[in-house]
Amino acid sequence: MSRHPQERTGRSLAAITSAMLLPRFEHHAGTFPQILGYLASLVLTLAATLLVVHHLIAPLYLPAVILLLAVVQAGIQLGFFMHLREGVGLSWQVAVLILAGIVALGIVIFSIWIMAFKSGVS
Amino acid sequence: MTNLMAQLFPPSVLRPMELGADVSIVFAAAALLLILTRRHLWGWLWREWITTVDHKKIGIMYLIAAMLGLFRGGVDALLLRTQLALPQNTFLGAEHYNEIFTTHGTIMVFFMAMPFIFALFNIAIPLMIGARDVAFPRLNAISFWLFAFAFLLFNMSFVVGGSPNAGWTAYAPLTELRFNPGVGENYYLIALQISGIGTIATGVNFLVTILRLRAPGMALMKMPLFAWSALITSSLIIFAFPALTVALALTVLDRLFGASFFTIGHAGMPMMYVNLFWIWGHPEVYILVLPAFGIFSEVVATFSRKALFGYSAMVGSLLAISLLSYGVWVHHFFTMGAGAVVNAFFGVSTMLIAIPTGVKVFNWIFTMWGGRIRMTCAMLWQLAFIPTFVVGGATGVLLAVVPGDYQFHNSYFLVAHFHNVLIGGVVFGLFSGLYYWWPKMFGYMLNERQGKWAFWFFLIGFWVTFFPQYLLGLEGMTRRIYIYPRGLGWSLPNLVSTLGAYAMGIGFVILVYSIVYSMRHRELDLTGDPWDGRTLEWSIPSPAPEYNFAVLPKVSSRDAWWATKHAGARGVAVDEIGPVAVPRNTGAPFMLGLCFFVAGFGAVFSWWPIAVAGLAGILSLLVAGWLREPDDHLFSADEIRRSEAALGRLKA
Repeated sequence: MSRHPQERTGRSLAAITSAMLLPRFEHHAGTFPQILGYLASLVLTLAATLLVVHHLIAPLYLPAVILLLAVVQAGIQLGFFMHLREGVGLSWQVAVLILAGIVALGIVIFSIWIMAFKSGVS
Repeated sequence: MTNLMAQLFPPSVLRPMELGADVSIVFAAAALLLILTRRHLWGWLWREWITTVDHKKIGIMYLIAAMLGLFRGGVDALLLRTQLALPQNTFLGAEHYNEIFTTHGTIMVFFMAMPFIFALFNIAIPLMIGARDVAFPRLNAISFWLFAFAFLLFNMSFVVGGSPNAGWTAYAPLTELRFNPGVGENYYLIALQISGIGTIATGVNFLVTILRLRAPGMALMKMPLFAWSALITSSLIIFAFPALTVALALTVLDRLFGASFFTIGHAGMPMMYVNLFWIWGHPEVYILVLPAFGIFSEVVATFSRKALFGYSAMVGSLLAISLLSYGVWVHHFFTMGAGAVVNAFFGVSTMLIAIPTGVKVFNWIFTMWGGRIRMTCAMLWQLAFIPTFVVGGATGVLLAVVPGDYQFHNSYFLVAHFHNVLIGGVVFGLFSGLYYWWPKMFGYMLNERQGKWAFWFFLIGFWVTFFPQYLLGLEGMTRRIYIYPRGLGWSLPNLVSTLGAYAMGIGFVILVYSIVYSMRHRELDLTGDPWDGRTLEWSIPSPAPEYNFAVLPKVSSRDAWWATKHAGARGVAVDEIGPVAVPRNTGAPFMLGLCFFVAGFGAVFSWWPIAVAGLAGILSLLVAGWLREPDDHLFSADEIRRSEAALGRLKA
């Protein structure tokens, strides 16, 4: 809905009182990186889809390549959308990112573990 | 043309029951339109409600939606129980029964419990932490309207196009296009996807609100417990909902675009759907119950006139539950056939959750210990919750024992267990919160005497409904069967269970009657603090003014309002009042919801021009919102002074 929701509410609420604890985002990179990130995400998704739909790569390498595209896209979204480089309080960001990494990796590893029976049972 | 009609109105929506629903929908809608037009309320509706970005009003709209969801889901439940009341009953057919249990479960989770929780978040959280609004008020309105239009889309299914029928979990291959060709599952997938966007946005919104907008001095460990539970719930939403988004999106790709992620005939993996669904699904259980825990923690302290016992243990156990909730999802499908080590791991992790939950139960009891307890309706729901939830939790531990689960799985024992925790935990909690915060929402009390009637009908009805279902499960009755023969010993427990369900229905009717009665005979709350409360929402008038706090409170301890009251420091100092800016109303969130509805409807029927039109609308609204300058309404200091003086709030 908005370019920088935090900036907008920040501005409106800043008018209210200085006593309020405002989101502290110090400098804004503007909207250009976000548009770029959005377009890059679209291109990467399209690339992955085309690779799969049109069998452009040998099946052996296909999973690795689309996984790589996914990781690149995750990086782009974190960098361009999540204001990763703009906020203060780096320790919080690192902590939350590590937690997110553990959850994401955990889901992947556990899912593989859970599904591994398929080879054994069926 | 006939083809179109056949698509919109297949035989499943032309059964007498559905046609009867059509008639009542038309009459109700006509009556509503007539009243709004006669009383010239359209402008009021648009200005005061549809375009509002005020968290308190958004909360009330969520509440209305939740009550509608409770009505629809409750009627579904009564239909199911009526069919099961007698052996060999022919009230509902097999397909009809499938559709009704699917919509019952889906509505109760996504369109009753979730909006009820968001209602109480919206109403109470900013007031409790001494904030003037949520961090992103317009995003909050967008969340609501996405939810509301998704609710509408999902509810349309049974009269236009046909209901989903694959259970609320919508497992592949039950949802596979080959086996399930109608549009019903599309309704489920698209509606949940749309409301899921709103839910994730709400999670972000409340996370930022609680981390960033607390009153000066309110350190995290001085927050009310409900704010803690909202904080943790929000982070659970952010970490868990994407898994559902993926599961639903892949199923949509399978059904609408010929992919085969879960399509077994093309080497898809339906079990991966189950896996993804429950990676979201188990944390979802805690997304539902943690807010209830938060509500109980507020209610028990207030009505025992004591500070909450073991505050930091309560916070720690909330955190422990939320972390553990990510490591237990396989217990929903032990019988899928994963290895013994996998099942053992997830069985043990499941049992671990009982420990922090037990800590919480003991802390609630110790809070009451030695307190001066007042038996209000809010407190009654809390008192009923403790034993009910403990039984539900204990049967949950039984289900976590893997070899046992092979026996209990998919039986009525399971059905009784999860209703035991979801009603005994979540619904009791939400009703408790409803009674507790009602005066803060509307400025008048709910009738206590009628509330107690509703309580007893609902509570006794609950036990009469679900205790026999444990027995039925142990006797081997499986869930989702629509008919059973005589002579299995199932007839009497089923009949009793149905009678209990009707009693719960009567409890709901009394509750609604009581709300209407209390609205008519207003017993006003002029103090703003009818329960002798402890937290900041009770420091301001009921209902709260649009700017919430004339002067932002300064917090120095837990239970900040209690401390202020007892230091004799009530009232607002005139010279501290300054101007307050609040974001101006906007119609964009409503229009955005409408465009999502159009796009969703087009996608459900694969009518792509309509879907593209909806998407174009979404895109243009996003661009328009992006170009728009922030727009605030300023309350001048004078206006606020006058309004506070009229409320008798100024210090002499």
